[in-house]
Amino acid sequence: MSSLDTTNAVARRPFPGRRARFGDVLLQGVAGLAALGATFLVGLIVYKIVQGSKLSLSTFGLGFVTHIAWNPVAGHLDFGAGAFLFGTAVTSVGALILATPLALAVALFLSELSPNWLRGPVTALVETLAAIPSVLIGLWGILVLGPFLLNHVDPALHSALGFIPLFGPATYASNVFTAIVVLTIMILPIIASISRELFLGVPGELKEGALALGLTRWEMVRGVVFPYARGGVAAAMILGFGRAIGEAIAVQQVIGGFTGTHLLWNLFSPGDTIGSKIAANYQGSQTGLELSSLVYLALILLVFSLIVNVVAQVIVRRSARRLGTSA
Amino acid sequence: MPRSGIVRFTLALATVALVAALAVGAAGASSAKRTNGSVSGAGSTFVAPLVSLWINAVSSIGINFSYSAIGSGGGVAAITNKQVDLGMSDAPLTQFSPTCTTCVQIPWALAGTAVMYRLDGVKNHLHLTGQVLAKIYMGQITNWSDPAIAALNSGVNLPNKAITVVHRSDSSGTSYNFTDFLSHVSSAWKSQVGTGTAVAWPAGIGGKGSSGVSSLVHSTNGGIGYADAEYAHKAHLAMFSMKNRAGKFVFANLKSIKAASVLDTKPAADGSLSIVNPPKSSKYANAYPICTYTYVDVQKSSGNAATLKKFLNWAITTGQTYGPKIFFVPLPASVVKFDKKQIAKIK
Repeated sequence: MSSLDTTNAVARRPFPGRRARFGDVLLQGVAGLAALGATFLVGLIVYKIVQGSKLSLSTFGLGFVTHIAWNPVAGHLDFGAGAFLFGTAVTSVGALILATPLALAVALFLSELSPNWLRGPVTALVETLAAIPSVLIGLWGILVLGPFLLNHVDPALHSALGFIPLFGPATYASNVFTAIVVLTIMILPIIASISRELFLGVPGELKEGALALGLTRWEMVRGVVFPYARGGVAAAMILGFGRAIGEAIAVQQVIGGFTGTHLLWNLFSPGDTIGSKIAANYQGSQTGLELSSLVYLALILLVFSLIVNVVAQVIVRRSARRLGTSA
Repeated sequence: MPRSGIVRFTLALATVALVAALAVGAAGASSAKRTNGSVSGAGSTFVAPLVSLWINAVSSIGINFSYSAIGSGGGVAAITNKQVDLGMSDAPLTQFSPTCTTCVQIPWALAGTAVMYRLDGVKNHLHLTGQVLAKIYMGQITNWSDPAIAALNSGVNLPNKAITVVHRSDSSGTSYNFTDFLSHVSSAWKSQVGTGTAVAWPAGIGGKGSSGVSSLVHSTNGGIGYADAEYAHKAHLAMFSMKNRAGKFVFANLKSIKAASVLDTKPAADGSLSIVNPPKSSKYANAYPICTYTYVDVQKSSGNAATLKKFLNWAITTGQTYGPKIFFVPLPASVVKFDKKQIAKIK
């Protein structure tokens, strides 16, 4: 807390001594209403989702979360989230593993290494990548990326790493790995642009000091920039992770889709995530129980996202505290 | 003074938002109030190409028709809750739970599902039976050189190539038609998998929509998939000639779909009508075995009955003439007659 900080009371009324003006009251009213509305909306969404999943909740209970089954045919009705939860975890963790080093490299290049004339255009392009609608990336995934991976990348990975069950033989262009790459492309700009801001925020004196001590650029980055930005980078990763968990359309376009009756350990086989399953089947469900089970999937996704958010905040706070004590 | 500028800006913004909200509210209120010549519908994506051709056509008889292709399940839910005038579904009402118990069900369009494949180096039109198709979709026949396929295609040099089975990953009326057919020809399919707009597919990969399925087949040598006849023809993929019960191998086209609709049997009392795998009879010699009716469901008591009847009577007669160019076969006279009786039940 510095002496420049003002107390709340003063901040709310910029001209002490004068009565609150109509405009200020209105502003407070409008802003407050908007904030209240947003909170109310979240509450409403949670309420509707819980209500919608009631039938499935009472039929399957909490066992639904890990139960591996999805049979919407009357007489065979059996639903569970297990396979889709697994698919969501595999795709989003996979995307995070691929995207993080790439994003950090992009951010480092833009903040520390790039020549000045290149910095602007490349930054703008990376941010444009984040603005491409997911349905377009999905379409590109179907038409270009999927066949390319199938013909060139998947077989190479299979022959090099085939001893690990995850890298089995590839038969289809629509598979979990294609979805991972699509998600990587989608979350890379998020992690990269936040990290770039963080790296730029590292005080110049620290960096110059490190260089003056005779450290190489890489040693400076490792010893000064990374530790300084660690908490923020972790939060950026989790933001990207959150995006990957929830992405439905682009994933559904390239992941193939399967029935959810078993776990798929081969990255090169088609799969499904919670988001893609909801997107695929919400419109056509034939029974109330299937619809309710799809809403139950949404509930799981909501809880999952909430946990991710909370974890991100905890990490940011903890690293801020650590930074505070060390400085 | 920048501060009051911000306040003014906020005020202006709030006013705009308020006006917009009021306008939207008013628009919502006025569209909820039903004018006499309007009909709203929701449901099946399968019938959407035909229905969207009708929108312009019925405006000339003074009906303002709107339609949202939200899927059969959504259509049945919407008509059950009386949110629309018409619910459109590819599966009969009995297949849904909860379902509309106060509705009349009217079979109002007829189309077929083609089975497409890609097999490089094979020029001939391959032949297939429903039983073999069921085994392929159950993952029991996995190679093109399988004796069961070879026996149906003597003289064709079938390559030793894995079969890639492609099905719909989303729920769809095409899947309903396809699985209904497999359930009719294979008792194993019927007991282990069953019929539905979505099923627990025992094998293969999913594609979203007919476009997803056909692009997967297109990109996979050895792929097999299915789509409505119009889409399959547009996709320029090879199609199987399917064996019907009369013993002939037939190709999905207007003539063969029409042949399947020449019915002795009338629709069931509830209006449902399954014509997959028509019986062994010279009458059905040229019938394509994977055809389906798609339904419109209407509440028996409706405040909009006069307009609805006018629209439905138009749809089952004049409306049918819009069908053939997109592979919807006009309803046979017996079904039109039945439909008129069903429409008369709307009060």
